Formats: sequence, structure tokens, C-alpha cells
Amino acid sequence: MASQQTPLPSLEPSALTKLIESASASGNPLAATTIQILHNLQHQHLWTFLQIHDISTTSNATDPNTPDSIAFNDPQTLISGIPPHRVYTHPDEQLYMLDKGIAEDDLRPERLFVIPTAQGQKWSLRRMAAAFDSLAALEVSENEEAVSSNESVDPEKAKKLDEYYERKERARETKEWGTRRALLAMTNRGMGGEGTVVYYVVQEGDVKPRQN
Amino acid sequence: MESTPTLPIPISYVSGRYLLFSVDAVTYLRREHNICGVLIGTLPQIPQQNVFLGLPLELMPEEARVLVDKDVACIVDEAKAHDGMRSLLEEDRRQYLRDLESQGQLAMRILADRKDQQREQSLKEIDEKKAKGLAAKAAKAAKAAADAQVAPESSPAPTEKEEPNSIFAGEDGTSSLSRTTGISTPAPQQALGITPTTSYPPLPHPVSASSQYLPKPEVPLSYPLFAHLHSRGYFLSPGLRFGCQYVAYPGDPLRFHSHFVVVSAEWDQEMDLMDIVNGGRLGTGVKKGFLLGGPQKRRDEVESEADRVDTVRTFSIEWAGM
Repeated sequence: MASQQTPLPSLEPSALTKLIESASASGNPLAATTIQILHNLQHQHLWTFLQIHDISTTSNATDPNTPDSIAFNDPQTLISGIPPHRVYTHPDEQLYMLDKGIAEDDLRPERLFVIPTAQGQKWSLRRMAAAFDSLAALEVSENEEAVSSNESVDPEKAKKLDEYYERKERARETKEWGTRRALLAMTNRGMGGEGTVVYYVVQEGDVKPRQN
Repeated sequence: MESTPTLPIPISYVSGRYLLFSVDAVTYLRREHNICGVLIGTLPQIPQQNVFLGLPLELMPEEARVLVDKDVACIVDEAKAHDGMRSLLEEDRRQYLRDLESQGQLAMRILADRKDQQREQSLKEIDEKKAKGLAAKAAKAAKAAADAQVAPESSPAPTEKEEPNSIFAGEDGTSSLSRTTGISTPAPQQALGITPTTSYPPLPHPVSASSQYLPKPEVPLSYPLFAHLHSRGYFLSPGLRFGCQYVAYPGDPLRFHSHFVVVSAEWDQEMDLMDIVNGGRLGTGVKKGFLLGGPQKRRDEVESEADRVDTVRTFSIEWAGM
């Protein structure tokens, strides 16, 4: 029976907090958001080959008219990585795949870009467009790293897949199967900031919805 | 039925609303220009019946503006356009009333003809049925006679209940008469009352005086997005039902489900990220996409609204499901 209360051991900061503290010495408030979302992608959604792309210089330099306050709030980083499963399939693409009997697991994984944001952060069409414009530049360099599908599949399937990739390339030009896309990730602040991250698929232009 | 009304179509401006009263104009705009509007007319006797509404058709200011910009329509002040009603000559007035009456008689005659046709059609059907029934009966009788020894009286003939009872509901008297005589007896004809929805047979077509057009409709800031989507072939309707500004259909709303709940924003208009979550969730919940877009230029940066339309960029947003 302890009459005098022993002082509680102060709680250890969480692994995520430590990670954010160690990595964001820059004092940039958006850096912490980026790290938190990267962490979430890596450990909750099991993404691989994650990268952080700095886009702050590209997006700010393009428009000299931008007021400073807006420039500061522009998205400064993008995350990219390879999800374990496909996140988005355009309905027409899905129809094609069903027609040809191609399963999503047969396809080679694709790199997907993520725009990290935090609840309470101000957002606007200009910022969304800035993120997408820098995405265009990044995707061009990204395309060169061709992921080799070294799995030994039976020749019939390989032929089907080749046809699919050819079709997909054509669809990319005509934008039949959707346009440039990215995930908009939002982490919550306030309410204790319990670390929820929500993801929305954003595509440029009017792309018809999936049949959920 | 593919009639083209005289262009430009006069849109009546009545106490801040843009209305269409001509059914030809309404069908033409829907068919050729993807403009649906909203029917708002009720029956004078039963105004609380608001499921099936009729003329007039109310247009959003955006719809009216798109049509005016395309020179398909013009805005006419309804009250001013009817100033001429008082100076109508007595002779013209009588002529017009006579016209209406003859139209009513014509309508009556068409209606009567159609009734006769329907009656003949159903009579023919009944006769055919009966003939078939008799044939079947004969065949059955023959068959029954053939194996009468095996199974006498296998089933009662089902021909008795073929008397017409539902087809001639309400006009049994005339139908039996015409059945016996074969001649349709014309009922004492009374001309149908015609209520014209437009006032320009008696008045000159309001479009003739182009000096009296009202200026282009004032439109909300979301107009460029509206015009952009309209030019891409979407049918747009007001979005209150889905908690957005517009609902975008990829074709006529009678044939297609809508694709997007549409919200417009100015290029630098600050929005809460929560609005995107809300819109994305709402859209996904009703199997639509959330379309966010707007023009890159502000109103004070350009000369006309049309210049803003060309700078519109849009983004479709869906829940990622992860």
C-alpha cells in the first residue's frame, strides 16, 4: 500500500512522433504531414518503393503573380510508391479486362503519386492544379524506369497482357481510360490528431465514375 | 415531330425568372441543345399536385445565358411584349377566337377517330380470339371423340369466359350497338376547349423587334464551369437534390444516370479540405463522381464571361476506398 504516490513515468512519445521529430528539423510544417502520410502508406497500406519528390521550386517559379501567402501554402512535396493492389481501375478499362479475362493481379504494379495534405490546411483549385502540373513533369521521368515483368507466365497470358499494355498506351493518349491521376491524402489534425489518413482519387478533367 | 421553332427562341422574363411557354421550343432545346430546364406548371385546379408538372419550363440563368450566347434564344420582357394586346383590333380578336374554335373541333374529330380506330382494333382482336377458340374447340372435340372411350369428359371447354368485359368499360352501350350494326354512331360533337400556351398567334412574334431584347442574363460565378460542361455535351440540372451546384448527366436525364455532382470554385478561392472529403463521400455514396472545377481567370481579369469559359480546369474526385 503505497501512501506516497510515485510519479508516473512520463509517456514515451510514439514511434511516429519520434520519426517526425527526427526527420523534420527544417521547421516546415508541411514536412511533418508528408512524413506522417508516408509512414501511413508504408505501414498501414503496405506500399513499397516509396519516394518523396520535392516540387516546391517547380510550382512556385512558374507563376510570378502568385501572392506570397499562397505560394507558401502550395503543395511542396509529392509522395510516390507502388501499392500492393491496384487502387483505381477506370470502368472502361475494367470492362476490357473482364472481356479479355485479365485479372488485376496479373498486371505489373504501377507507381502512384500521392499529394499529402492535412486537415485545416487551406486548399484551392490553384494548388490542386499546381500539384497536377508538377506531376506531369515527374511522370515523364518516371516512365523511363520500365518495370520488367520477369514472371514466367504461360505464353497465352503473356500475349494477352501485351495486348492489354498496348491498348492501355493508346487509351492514355485518347484519355479513354481516365486521365492523369493522383491520390489526395488528408491526415487529420485537431480532435487530438489521432492519425487517420483518408485517400481520394483525383483525376484531371471529367472522368466518369466507377460503378461502385 | 422534328420541328424547328423560329430562332431565336423568345425566353420570357417574368419577375426574375426565365420561362418558356412553347412546347415546341422546350422539345427543340432539349433535343438539339441539351437544355432541360425544370417544368414548374401545375394544374390551376389542383396546385398541390406537384409530381407531374407541365409548362411553363423554368430555365436557370446559366441555361438562358448559354442559349443567348449561342444566338439560339433571346430574352423578352413578358409584360412589355403584351402591351400590344390592348390595341388588338376587334376584327383580329374575332378571327382569333374563330381559329381557336376550329382548332378545338379538329382536336375533337381526331380524338373521335382515334376512339373508333381503337374500338375496331379490339373488336377484330376479339373476333380472332373467338375464331381461334372455336378452332381449338373443334380440334378438342375431334380429339375427345377419338379417345372418348379412354377418358370421357377430360376437361371442360374454356371458351365461355371470353366475353369482353374490361375493354369496353364505360361505353358498353355504343359498343354493342356498333357491333350489331357495324357503323359507328357519331356522338354529338362539342369542340374541345383550347388553351393556347403562347400569345403569338394574335400578337406578332416577339422576336421580330430585336431592339426590345433584354440584356444577357446575370449569371453566378459558377457560369464558366456550367458552360464548359455544357459544351462537352453534358446535360446539367440544378444540384440542390444532391447537395451541389449542378448535376451532370452524360445524356438525356430520361435515359442516363448522372455522372457527377458538380461544385464550382474560383481559382484562388480558399476551400477547406473537409469540403473535398464531403463532396467525395457524397458523390461516391450516390455512385457519382465529385467534379470540382473553375476558371483560372477572375471576372475582373477578362472582358467577358466567355473568356473565362476557355480557362476552366476540372478535377474528378472519388473515394479511394483505402
